[in-house]
Amino acid sequence: MKTAIKYIYSALTIVFISAAAVAQTKPAAFKVPVYQKFSLSNGLTVYLMEQHEVPVISVSAIIPAGAIYDGSKSGLATLTAAGLQYGTKSYSKSKIEQDLDFIGASLNTYASKESSGLSSKFASKDAGKVLPILKEVLADPVFDKDEFEKERKRVLTSLQQAKQSPRNVINAYWDKFIFGSHVYGNSLTGSPETVGKFSIDDLKSFYTANYSPQGSAIAVVGDFNAKEMKTRLEGLFGSWKATAQARKNEAAVAITPVNGNRILLVNKEDARETTFLIGGIGIRRDNPDFVAIEVVNTVFGGRFTSWLNDELRVNSGLTYGANSRFTPLKNSGTFAISTFTANKTTEATIDKALQVLDSLHKQGFNDKTLASAKNYVKGQFPPRYETAGQLAGLLTQMFWYGFDESYINNFQSNVDGLTAAKSKEIINKYFPKDKLQFVLVGKSEEIRKVAQKYGPVTEKEIKADGF
Amino acid sequence: MKRLLTILLLGFYVPVCAQTKADDVKTFTLKNGMKFLVLEDTSIPNANMYLFYKVGSRNEYPGITGLSHFFEHMMFNGAKKYGPKMFDQVMEFNGGANNAYTTQNVTVYTNWFPVSAMETIFDLEADRISSLSIDPKMVESERGVVLSERSTSLENSPWSLLGDAVNASAFQEHPYHWTVIGYENDIKNWTKDDLEKYFKTYYAPNNCVVVVSGNVKVDEVKRLAEKYIAPIPSGPQPRPVHLVEPPQTGERRVMVQKEVPTPYMMIGYHTPEAKHKDYYSLSILSSILSSGNSSRLYSSMVDQKQLATMVSTDFSESFDPNLFQFYIQAAAGSKESDIEEAVYDEIKKIMNDGITAQELQKVKNQKVMEFYSQLETINGKSNNIGTYEVFFGDYRKMFDAPAEYSKVTSDDVKRVANEYFKKSNRTVGILKTNAED
Repeated sequence: MKTAIKYIYSALTIVFISAAAVAQTKPAAFKVPVYQKFSLSNGLTVYLMEQHEVPVISVSAIIPAGAIYDGSKSGLATLTAAGLQYGTKSYSKSKIEQDLDFIGASLNTYASKESSGLSSKFASKDAGKVLPILKEVLADPVFDKDEFEKERKRVLTSLQQAKQSPRNVINAYWDKFIFGSHVYGNSLTGSPETVGKFSIDDLKSFYTANYSPQGSAIAVVGDFNAKEMKTRLEGLFGSWKATAQARKNEAAVAITPVNGNRILLVNKEDARETTFLIGGIGIRRDNPDFVAIEVVNTVFGGRFTSWLNDELRVNSGLTYGANSRFTPLKNSGTFAISTFTANKTTEATIDKALQVLDSLHKQGFNDKTLASAKNYVKGQFPPRYETAGQLAGLLTQMFWYGFDESYINNFQSNVDGLTAAKSKEIINKYFPKDKLQFVLVGKSEEIRKVAQKYGPVTEKEIKADGF
Repeated sequence: MKRLLTILLLGFYVPVCAQTKADDVKTFTLKNGMKFLVLEDTSIPNANMYLFYKVGSRNEYPGITGLSHFFEHMMFNGAKKYGPKMFDQVMEFNGGANNAYTTQNVTVYTNWFPVSAMETIFDLEADRISSLSIDPKMVESERGVVLSERSTSLENSPWSLLGDAVNASAFQEHPYHWTVIGYENDIKNWTKDDLEKYFKTYYAPNNCVVVVSGNVKVDEVKRLAEKYIAPIPSGPQPRPVHLVEPPQTGERRVMVQKEVPTPYMMIGYHTPEAKHKDYYSLSILSSILSSGNSSRLYSSMVDQKQLATMVSTDFSESFDPNLFQFYIQAAAGSKESDIEEAVYDEIKKIMNDGITAQELQKVKNQKVMEFYSQLETINGKSNNIGTYEVFFGDYRKMFDAPAEYSKVTSDDVKRVANEYFKKSNRTVGILKTNAED
């Protein structure tokens, strides 16, 4: 509140928040520290990595229980993940909170689009107190009814509050607009209409159907002895019983392609600026060109001197920041240009963004620009995997998306291997030229005409239920 | 009870394995007065450079409010050797990235880079510190950028609007009265001359502390500092901020209208600056009130009474006496007067009965974890080392902080609650849809 900064890199979720690396000199190669991976007899995958710089331990767990399994009960994955902390077989909600707060330990449980997760951080000397709690939170939650009713009241208010901020909700509109009835269109939060109807039994059923050691993983990184930790985890998590059945992979259903430009205009009556995304379908996480796409996107919209930010911010002062990002999932993903501007400069800003996209296709970039992007991506890479928490997150991502440490260990050489010719191919193949999708959140009365210029417009009220 | 006792008997946990110690930070001061703090850390092949200038919105006056922050932007817009855009282009070409932030007290420039780029970073910094050039064209486009920054913050968070109103009321003479981003009409009207004067006054090397952490060698940092920065002449000490906020003698209330689902509320009490002896006790008080779901305010207002959906407190380091703030988001249907009363009830309990030994130990344990988090990354190290050096007068105080917190007693917390949480010392702000109520 009392701070103002040069640049908000991520007004929205940025997946390729990358960084950079070296110039002409070779930087020291950055490698994933040694770790071990094994499975328990109940199917839970475990990763262990010792890191002794500070006496803390970070835990990250991933469970195939994300919003794609919500069905008609939009928001259920998120409330179920929060509900894991409403008490367990041996610990009440307040006991969990008191015990963890007393030792300065953190615990988060949350749902994302495809999976749900747990993260925790605590002093290594407290592992004996915290790990049994984490085990019960994942394996033995009781879903206390009173705690759920309190949480639901808070959630209903926060759903309305979120709509005060275009930045908070534009991604939910975007996913719904791009993916339509495909499960990737499901919102994480749900809406007052859906959440208002949940009962505690909905959470229990969602848990039973989706939480199971089979298909899940837990990564523990930090200041411990791996051999002792292995024994400890086997003792604790070995008793987590598999309940969930194998399910149909709903996310594998094909996504209906679009025929042309489409615009969603979300009216926010008191808006003084327009917040918008332009793009379309992006890539899957297992795309073999993943690293090359990151380098190309760095030039286009992935850093301060990117073409988008240079044109929309530095040259014209139309916005505080503009960027582009790919958001990859297992079976699909999106690509979006993201920025905001005052109501009256909406048209100029959209036009400029489209011009920059056009020049990416027409001009491509020269060797110097490519070299700069490679250096940047390599140079900013190591700080992404510096802390125990970041490394624990990396291990669970590796599990989820099925990549291994070669992603990290070969990152530098993969970046270096990108040629000018290949970058041209990347642009043609992955950056949209036409059939563009637009989501604009702003004051319809003032920007409706502008929106209509780009294609057929669908209008919504931000105050209407859902996205 | 037995288990608790054991933990208490262990007392304060001494961080034996934390590898970084105060003595690991090496310091030197150039002839022009610029002080360097260097911490070698080989965990990743990267390094950073944090430059803390002792200038923020407290150094402004009406007519140039927001200029510190605007100036921060202009530092990226061209100097003698590296013209407009080149600072960022050269840094990113060499694998580096940067950002900067401005507060009421300081302006901080942050560079993150592979260690191979360190000499380039020194060259870039030296160029803009010694010979910034203010291009009128860049001033104009940057005005648009900052107006957009101001507007997007107001668009996306009711807290900005309310916080601005509370500060403006709590501070009537001291420059914390205005916002860091500045008044819209000041942003539109300051001149090139204002900017040039600001640069001469506040951007001398002797008004700056530099922290470098990462896979560097102290000798190499020193060599580069001597080569690039030492030739820049020092400047006169900037005139100190002489305005002192007079004691507040009665409760102040401000109301802000904005359409929101439920009211947003802030309560601010005047409290002392970072170097004051009560700093650590107040910081512990803040954690007792709002850190974690077992904290007093969360458990009473959000969990039991369900009056609020969110409650937090903030007490941060500051050069001059500032505010201890409470932030509350009302639950649907709860009355603002009930919410206020609930906050005051919790405050009164501490004023009358103090806090329990267990609560105190809890917060001390949390402070140790915070300390570890600060040491987990090279960025955390630089930011915190610099913050302690600038606000507390000595980077060593960062390493002493766990011990300082461990000295605080239950009586200290009770005493500061009584001293500062007086009705006459507070400003209450409410933001809601119907301000006619």
